[in-house]
Amino acid sequence: MIDIFQINPGLWMILAGLICALVPKGDTFALVRKVFIIGAPIFAGVMITQIYTSQEVLAGQITIGGLELTTLRIDNLSMVWGYLFCLIAVINGIYGFHEKCRITDSSALIYAGAAIAGVFSGDLLTLFLFWELTAISSVFLIWKGGKRAYAAGIRYLALHVLSGVLLLAGAIFYAHSNGGDYSFNAIGTDTLGGWLILFAIGIKCGFPFLHMWMQDAYPKASITGTVILSAFTTKMAIYALARGYVGVDILIYIGAIMTCFPVFFALIENDLRRVLAFSLNNQLGFMVCGIGIGTELALNGVVGQVFVHVIFKSLLFMSIGAVMYRVGTAKASELGGLFRSMPITAVFCLIGAGSIAAFPLLAAFVTKAMIISAVIYEAAYNPGLYVIAAMLLFASAGVMEHSGIKVPYFTFFSHDSGRRVKEAPWNMLVAMGLAALLCIVLAFPWGGYQILYSLMPYEPNYQPYTVDHVVFQLQLLFAAISAFCVLKKFKLYPAEKRGEILDFDWTYRKLGLGIMQWIGAMWTRLSVQTKRLRERAIESAGRRLFQVFSPAGAMSESAPSGLAAVLTAAMLIIVLIFVYFIR
Amino acid sequence: MDILSLFPAWLLEQGPAFVIVLPLLMGAIVAILPSRTLAWWAALIVTLLCSVTAFGLLLQVYSEGASLYTMGGWDPPHGISLVVDALSAPVLLLIAAMAVVTMVYAMPATIAEIEPKKRAPFYAAFLLCFAGLMGMVITGDAFNVFVFLEVSSISTYAIVAMGAARDRRALAAAYNYLIMGSIGATFFVIGLGFLFMETGTLNMADMSRILADLDGGSRVAMVGFGFIVVGLGLKMAMFPLHTWLPGAYAYSPTMVSVFLASTATKAALYLLLRFTFTVFDPSFNYDIVVVKYVLVGVGVVGMIFASLQAIFQTDARRTLAYSSVAQVGYMLLGVGIATAAGIAAGYLHLLNHAIIKGGLFLAMGAFWYRFGITRVTDFNGLSKTMPWTMGAFMISGLSLIGVPFTAGFVSKVNLTIAAADKGWWWAVAVIVVTSVLAIIYIGRILLAAYFGSPPEIDGEMAKRNEAPLMMLIPMWILVFLSISIGSNLFGLGDNFVMASERAANLLVGIGG
Amino acid sequence: MTDKNEPETLSRKELEERQNAHPFAVPFLWLGNQKVIDNFIWLPVLGMIAMIALGIVFPQAKPAPWDAIPGSWALIGFVAYSFIVLCAKPLTALLSRDETYYGEGGLPDPEYSTEHSSGDHHD
Repeated sequence: MIDIFQINPGLWMILAGLICALVPKGDTFALVRKVFIIGAPIFAGVMITQIYTSQEVLAGQITIGGLELTTLRIDNLSMVWGYLFCLIAVINGIYGFHEKCRITDSSALIYAGAAIAGVFSGDLLTLFLFWELTAISSVFLIWKGGKRAYAAGIRYLALHVLSGVLLLAGAIFYAHSNGGDYSFNAIGTDTLGGWLILFAIGIKCGFPFLHMWMQDAYPKASITGTVILSAFTTKMAIYALARGYVGVDILIYIGAIMTCFPVFFALIENDLRRVLAFSLNNQLGFMVCGIGIGTELALNGVVGQVFVHVIFKSLLFMSIGAVMYRVGTAKASELGGLFRSMPITAVFCLIGAGSIAAFPLLAAFVTKAMIISAVIYEAAYNPGLYVIAAMLLFASAGVMEHSGIKVPYFTFFSHDSGRRVKEAPWNMLVAMGLAALLCIVLAFPWGGYQILYSLMPYEPNYQPYTVDHVVFQLQLLFAAISAFCVLKKFKLYPAEKRGEILDFDWTYRKLGLGIMQWIGAMWTRLSVQTKRLRERAIESAGRRLFQVFSPAGAMSESAPSGLAAVLTAAMLIIVLIFVYFIR
Repeated sequence: MDILSLFPAWLLEQGPAFVIVLPLLMGAIVAILPSRTLAWWAALIVTLLCSVTAFGLLLQVYSEGASLYTMGGWDPPHGISLVVDALSAPVLLLIAAMAVVTMVYAMPATIAEIEPKKRAPFYAAFLLCFAGLMGMVITGDAFNVFVFLEVSSISTYAIVAMGAARDRRALAAAYNYLIMGSIGATFFVIGLGFLFMETGTLNMADMSRILADLDGGSRVAMVGFGFIVVGLGLKMAMFPLHTWLPGAYAYSPTMVSVFLASTATKAALYLLLRFTFTVFDPSFNYDIVVVKYVLVGVGVVGMIFASLQAIFQTDARRTLAYSSVAQVGYMLLGVGIATAAGIAAGYLHLLNHAIIKGGLFLAMGAFWYRFGITRVTDFNGLSKTMPWTMGAFMISGLSLIGVPFTAGFVSKVNLTIAAADKGWWWAVAVIVVTSVLAIIYIGRILLAAYFGSPPEIDGEMAKRNEAPLMMLIPMWILVFLSISIGSNLFGLGDNFVMASERAANLLVGIGG
Repeated sequence: MTDKNEPETLSRKELEERQNAHPFAVPFLWLGNQKVIDNFIWLPVLGMIAMIALGIVFPQAKPAPWDAIPGSWALIGFVAYSFIVLCAKPLTALLSRDETYYGEGGLPDPEYSTEHSSGDHHD
């Protein structure tokens, strides 16, 4: 009998997703699916509590083709991600309760399950399997965004499958240089395999120049799809980094750049879901940077940041999604003044915005302070890191700009767009309410952030609510808001304009496409010119091949005893030459 | 071990002689048996007894180590010795078990393929061939190898020629095989002669010791080595010397195809391992050079060329035959890597390929038995008319390609890893390319069978006409084995890998 | 719903606005008042000044080099924010293109897109 505690909890969700895919259409059956979509993550979470002990749990070993796979590894690092993914899957399930779409339901479950299973995988090959499964299952969520999302989905899929292939190649090289050991622990960049795996992870968590799939695909997915997508893929990649590349210096610089560059793009972007995708990228930068620093404080900060980030980022995506559900657009230029008709959503959105901007008493305050402090503490030994700390502060001001002010301001305040719509559906409000509540609870000074601390991998002794932390953080935030007001007053703040903002994806969507089209055109011309020539060549090559290999061909004559005897003699001569002369 | 205690002690003690003498004696008796059914029963029981004994010997090797049996109590080097060790025991069991599978299948097949009065002699020749193969593997005396080689070869020519009742081309094929086989045997015995000149002994262990003392010996030993490698290469259908094989496999009676494909070349490969790694030694420069350059060279070229030829065949039996030549290339590649992992992978592929190819030829035989089908184009719709047989063919075919959870995957992965460990990335590329070629030549048949529609006979779709149970049972046993090895059911996969590793360790251990 | 405690001094326009708004939003409609918007700036500015003062009283426990300047984080916040926003104009000029630039129909908001598509918002 199989021990159910040997089974990776993510597999239960994948199973539930497969069942959902088989449940027929229709309203009553939709309810059945909703039971699964909310129940399965809860069940998976319960399974994690059952399996988790204070020691590392390794289980579910199977041997395939001589390779020992460890399909389940729960320790105090992966456990955090496991709980987080279960929690957010439940919230997403509630948020999408109104939607009666079989594909969304089942792919959301499989996707979340694959992310959980990937996080719990104990070796690189299992990780690869679920790495690809997240990509393949999630692309349906993008395609549910309609016809426009199709091409973006293909690009998304291509990049993510590429990421998986790189991961596999890296794993093979890495294991090869490591004595055939596929276990997934600290990898480092000493080997070619290590670099390949880092590159694969880099695609998934949006390193600069590898990031465009995120801003390309997320805003084009369906409303619930975007919310679900934003939670899992990138955080799974962050987990892989936190597992394999702690203290790798290059990550500090990559992370710092990642926090800064999206700020500018988010500023001029009109589509608010895309703004949030840039914001997501910027938040990931903080985490990557913290992993690069690699001290206990930094890692605690990263783990905490991941946890609250998923919650408040979902909250923001959910609130903009709710607006889009009612209004039909998420473009800043078309929105404004919506607090009159969607006040509850507006409050939730403000809580999310305050959380991401790290207002005291709201979620990111504790964790972001930990990461920045970790950088500043390390800078005492390595003054160069002050530059990084300054970049992170700059980026914090940037976060305030795009997520703290821009998103809620242009949606709910600003000039009145004159739209009067209904408040969001009850289930969306419940989901947002839960997330907002968590944002407040997890930063609450008296017994709130301690919950977060209890999840951290190292014993945290960092005091977030000291007077100086609160005061200086408020300095930064008030100054940013003041700057906003001043710029607005002097009409220096740019009006939102519709348009497509070019980013690095221009290289393949336009330049690459252009080159391919040019090559295609040239090829057509060339092939017209050389058609006759080629036809003749292929024909004669095919004839030759057939003459050589076919049953009637030279290689297969049925009675070549004489020839074979000659061959045997020739073979003997070759062997003797080798025996005698090759030393 | 528990199971070992179930075997009577005398059987294990006399087992090495028993597995040769019993089929030899019974061969003579079966030849004069009046009743076809009686002959079949006798042959079946002989092969069954031999495989039980071989199984016991295998267990004994694993629990108590290698054993040396002296014929008539004469000690080596003067007497003839029989050696059962980790290298020979698995091959013994393989040959005996495949003989049982073949015999079960032979019951319906001989009725269709062999003239009534030739049936008893057929079984007799089969038993002789079987005894010869067992003897080749078990004996520790080099000249004895030659004797058993001839015993098995000559009886093989005879049973291949009996395919003439079905297909006249069998006569030409048997003739061809006879010429080539004789050349091979001659080369082998010439090589032995040189070796005898050099060492003055015919006992393999003795030869090995003397050659090591001479540090490889003079040019005489070198020439002897060359002759032996080429002679054995011919017997095992090493690439340019494979020309006898497609005809022999394709036109012989179907059960002979099954038996030859899964055992004959394997025994020769076993001998090659014996000679290159234990009698001679890789520490001799000429030995390792030939292993590393010649065997790998012809192995790799053979893998590619034979796979290409397999694609272009119109006769499915010849496709499978060329595929066998390609698979010999895989095994040679593994041997040529010459590390413990490489040899283990080659040896594992030897075992797995026997099971896979046996299953494929069994299915081919059943297709012929029911519909007389041999050409690829006639496979259209076979999945509907013979679903179980076609299912077995498909799974074995997938295993041949190396799809995960099948035996072929396990050995190909091990081979790939061994090549990668050695740093032979080009070899990895060749394995991948030839696997793709395998997809093409197997896929071509599967496509016809699963997507074509059955032919119409008198305006009606051909009806379902499944192979008889006696054919289905051995077929599915092999398919089941293949899947069990691939998915490690009942620990079979681990056991096979372990067996190959033990064999390789034995070779590398002795070879330094 | 709103007419229970409706003051009589409201203008027609205000009444209409109240009627259209969500009941929860009614007490907060003053947020849309132009005067409120114009004077909102005092809130963050005063907050900032207060925090700078507090920052001088309670300095950073582990200061970075720039913390020698009083109100350092406020300065960073103000300058960084202004810099980012002022970058918008040149960046827009450099990077912004028409929404149909890639020919994939931009983003999925049927009613407002430049292309034709069936509406998809929910009431």
